[in-house]
Amino acid sequence: MKPLSYHLIGVEARYSCRSGIALAIDDLALRNGQLNLVAGLNGSGKSTLLNVLAFLVQPTQGIVEFSGKFIAWERAELRELRRCVTLVHQDPFLFRGSVASNVSYGAKARGIRGCALQERVRECLELVGLPGFESRNAKRLSGGEARRVALARALACNPEVVLLDEPLAYVDELSTKIIERLLVALVDRGVLLVVSSHDATLGRRLKGRTIRLREGRLVQHPERPATYAAKSLESSAHAIV
Amino acid sequence: MESFAQSVRTAFALIFSADREVYAAVWTSVSTAGWSTVIASLIGIPTGMTIGVSDFPLKRLSVILLNSLMAMPTVVVGLLVFGLLSRQGMLGSFGLLFTPKAIILGQSVLATPIIANYALAAVRAADVRILPTALTLGAGPLQSFAQLSNEIRFGIMAAVIAGFGRVISEVGVAMMLGGNIRGYTRTMTTAIALETSKGEFAFGLALGMVLMLISFTINIGLSFMQERRHE
Repeated sequence: MKPLSYHLIGVEARYSCRSGIALAIDDLALRNGQLNLVAGLNGSGKSTLLNVLAFLVQPTQGIVEFSGKFIAWERAELRELRRCVTLVHQDPFLFRGSVASNVSYGAKARGIRGCALQERVRECLELVGLPGFESRNAKRLSGGEARRVALARALACNPEVVLLDEPLAYVDELSTKIIERLLVALVDRGVLLVVSSHDATLGRRLKGRTIRLREGRLVQHPERPATYAAKSLESSAHAIV
Repeated sequence: MESFAQSVRTAFALIFSADREVYAAVWTSVSTAGWSTVIASLIGIPTGMTIGVSDFPLKRLSVILLNSLMAMPTVVVGLLVFGLLSRQGMLGSFGLLFTPKAIILGQSVLATPIIANYALAAVRAADVRILPTALTLGAGPLQSFAQLSNEIRFGIMAAVIAGFGRVISEVGVAMMLGGNIRGYTRTMTTAIALETSKGEFAFGLALGMVLMLISFTINIGLSFMQERRHE
């Protein structure tokens, strides 16, 4: 069995004292090299779950374990944990400046500099199908391009866990295929992927494990080990790039 | 008193002949306003940004207080700082009263809430995704704060310009704390007030024109920053 990355036990999250429960998870285990699709309607807690997994939202109660360690939600600890995980938001924000400065941001925060940094930026842009985009203005990209740059920026951090909030919403067919091929490749590299999506067919296409949420609670939690091959998808995607 | 047209001609002559007294007042104004803007920016920008990004129990009260301080009359600021710097005051032993340093101190107090409020407004207008994006990419609190500053830099520059505009044109603080000493603490505004009361209308007008030119340049800069901020 693959090593355990996250273990959430009795986790409950609220955004304020007066608001209702945004997330209530009794028991959820996520393993390295898994592709997990979080499905549910608007307001079902998908984004809250991703924010908890990204260590951006502290649960109001419950236990979160990461790589077998109990998370105390202390500032110094959180900074280290956030370096293992990257979250790509549904509508990702690109910083002012060039595509290269955006893609290199996380890698720079990890102390990577010089030629190694340039090489990593180039590689990641190639992975998302945007070679030669380094000097482009990040604020002048199309929606699909911006999303792929955000993905490249996440990949440049070389994370153990990649969290994607609706990565395929409002993207064209080409971008969809490139992103789906990347997701499969990442899982093959042993990265834990957690992807929230409204698209019910995405789970079938990528053959990942589906976690269904309704009003913040788990509805369906299949225990069967996930299969990630998605070979037909991979071969079709290879033809694109 | 000369006719208005004659006064304008004399005023231009004073400006273009590099009149020593005119330029001394201009220099005192610009240097004291410059230093006080630097000090107020160092305090006001982090204060406004911190209030903007953090969530704490007295946040609402802090914002109300900042807004109230922004509207504080210059003579009241002058009076309070005068109390501190006078012989019996807490800082009386430093002998700062009626020196350019006293003007700088008073003007810093005046500009800090203005700059803090502008910085707060810039943070509030900024995209809410900036900080979470920086954090999830592994940036620490200081790095993410620096990234936020970079994203709202035009708003921050507008804050600094607004602060400078406020202090260069004020008269109350400079008069009360500087004492309007010729060639030492006499600023453009205090010189205008004094010379006009003495009947030296052309001299006041010359300084008024320089002040207007500076204010006009500041406003052009401010408008430019506001436009860039909304791009």
